[in-house]
Amino acid sequence: MQAPKLHQMSRTRLLGAGLLLIMAIFIVRLFYIQVLQHDFYKKAARETQVTKFTIQPDRGQIYAMDRNEVTPLVLNETVYTVFADPQEVKNPDKIASSLRRIAGGNVVDGFEQGLQNKKSRYAVLARQVTRPQAELIKKEDLQGVGLQEGSRRVYPEGSLASQLLGFVDAEGKGQYGLEGAANDRLKGTPGLLQAVTDVRRIPLTIGDDDIRRAPKNGDDLVLTIDRNIQAQAEAVLAAGLKRVNATTGSMLVMDPNDGKVLAMANMPTYDPAKYNEVTDYSVFQNSVVSFPYEAGSVIKTLTMGAGLDSGAVNASSTFDNTGSVKVDDTTIRNVEEDPIFPNTTMTDVLQYSLNTGVVYVLQQMGGGEVNQKARETLYNYFVDHYRFNKKTGIEQANEDDGTIIGPNEGYGRNVRYANMTFGQGMDVTMIQAASAFSAAINGGVYYQPHVIGGMRSSDGSIKAEQPKVVANNVLRPEISAQLQEMIYQGRHKGFFGKFDPAGFRVGGKTGTSQIIDPKTGKYSDENSVGSYLGFGGVDQPKYVIMVRVLDSKRTGGYEGTTAAGPIFNEMSNWMLKYLELRPKQ
Amino acid sequence: MSQFRTTSLQFSTRGQRMWRRNQNTVSFAPTAALGPVTHTVLIALMIAVLGLIYLTQVTKTSLYGYQLDDKQTKLDGLLAEKQNLEVENARLQALERVKNSSVAANMEAPASTDYAAN
Repeated sequence: MQAPKLHQMSRTRLLGAGLLLIMAIFIVRLFYIQVLQHDFYKKAARETQVTKFTIQPDRGQIYAMDRNEVTPLVLNETVYTVFADPQEVKNPDKIASSLRRIAGGNVVDGFEQGLQNKKSRYAVLARQVTRPQAELIKKEDLQGVGLQEGSRRVYPEGSLASQLLGFVDAEGKGQYGLEGAANDRLKGTPGLLQAVTDVRRIPLTIGDDDIRRAPKNGDDLVLTIDRNIQAQAEAVLAAGLKRVNATTGSMLVMDPNDGKVLAMANMPTYDPAKYNEVTDYSVFQNSVVSFPYEAGSVIKTLTMGAGLDSGAVNASSTFDNTGSVKVDDTTIRNVEEDPIFPNTTMTDVLQYSLNTGVVYVLQQMGGGEVNQKARETLYNYFVDHYRFNKKTGIEQANEDDGTIIGPNEGYGRNVRYANMTFGQGMDVTMIQAASAFSAAINGGVYYQPHVIGGMRSSDGSIKAEQPKVVANNVLRPEISAQLQEMIYQGRHKGFFGKFDPAGFRVGGKTGTSQIIDPKTGKYSDENSVGSYLGFGGVDQPKYVIMVRVLDSKRTGGYEGTTAAGPIFNEMSNWMLKYLELRPKQ
Repeated sequence: MSQFRTTSLQFSTRGQRMWRRNQNTVSFAPTAALGPVTHTVLIALMIAVLGLIYLTQVTKTSLYGYQLDDKQTKLDGLLAEKQNLEVENARLQALERVKNSSVAANMEAPASTDYAAN
């Protein structure tokens, strides 16, 4: 019997064909996904796997000098924000009690309610928690609670030099002072880390397109400020203001030989670590650079310098002082108590602070009268030589450039320029006045005033920045020497000479400027601003000090003498000892 | 004997070389042979093993990422601690603190200043 033949379309063959068909579908689909759609899925995978991390740089720290040593003024401190995911929290009472025990002073108001809010995924529990506190919180192992690292500025010296330094706001941007002016240098450049990460966002070293760019930390700046001089300036200023029942004043101490600012003090002051608690924002301003005012008779020293350098007068010139002088239809008078005598010398003009004397200088600039030539000569010295009406470029935010009206502008030009010879009818900042004064007495070199002395590198070495000479021809050197001598004699023979220790060379000038009464629009006799601008040293000036008292309650119109002068005396005598200057025998 | 020898010659030339009298040099040809399916399975297994080896080596490098992260965390912690110590150091040397210290309290301002001759 013959064995039966297999049918051509048997079920086995059918099954085999079906399996082959299914496999073919798989292979085609795999080919489509893995080859044709390769780029699409690779991109989708990268978007899921690759994470970009911005690495925040450290903000530059700020140091001052302590004689020849560097001492920190502004540092960074790592702090943490404690947060919770309310949906993950299982034991809110334990979290609340732990936080109150460990970080009680840093918890946010109502954080317990935040823990109960199950609709939210993020609730801040405490801010500005220190590292030791954060370690203790970690040890508690609180479910649903996390720590976010951050940084904050720390001021170990408290409110010292607060207006000079400024502060950093909640967004990390410098405001006011040095933090504002040098924000670009201090903030650094963020870095970037782009890598494939795992589910916990930990970067893995398997990607081909990893980017690792380290952050560039901000520059660590070393200031020219001496911590001790700054502290002494603030203490002396505060005490001096209290003596005259004043609340607002400023002091500037600088080196006339290179433009270094050694101290800048302002009262009232504030704590930059608690800037958010300040209600009167005017306290943030560094008035030394941002508050121009009519400086008064301190400007007479510069008018005299202009007169000597222009050849209008010389050291032996004299004039007939009658106590008043008429300019156009206005009579300009000296203070009543000033002496009236003929053959008054230029040194007498500074010693007795004679308005008529400096008007005489202006007249001589015009060939005997106040005219266009006189105005233009004085304007030239004030603006082009002394650099009034221009910012000095000191590294401080919100510097003002003051106001000098042009010689051919407005009405009453002759009277205005006559007033300008003794510092009225014009606005200057203390930094402008002191920098011009420094140039006038140091041989005629205008150095740009600066507070940044150099940069500190990570190994502690300092890269110093060189002083910048802005102009060499402020006054001729011999004129500068004459002027310095006249200023010294003016003080030495005058009221304040007896306060200076023997063997030292201290010179200076008072200034009492009237304030315009906003009600009448005229100068008021009720209040005035007291200033003092002077230098000290042995053979050559080693420091320049300028003091301003804005609201002395002592009336009489002698605020320069009664309010600002004593502050200068105290600071000057302290500086002579601090700088260890030896007197001439 | 000759058929054994023939078998030896056929399947064992080594045996033939080593052949000596009274030695059993018989070896049998394997009757079992690997078929194509077995070959395929073996090759697939070998590829799978090679793939596994490759996978373990590649994923090893990804472990470096964890080690790096761990070291970075430790470094960050040390840097933060150094920073905080610098802050604490600065606070301890602050002027106000020094001024109010017991050492300063026992100091007096000099009554006068004299200068030694050169």
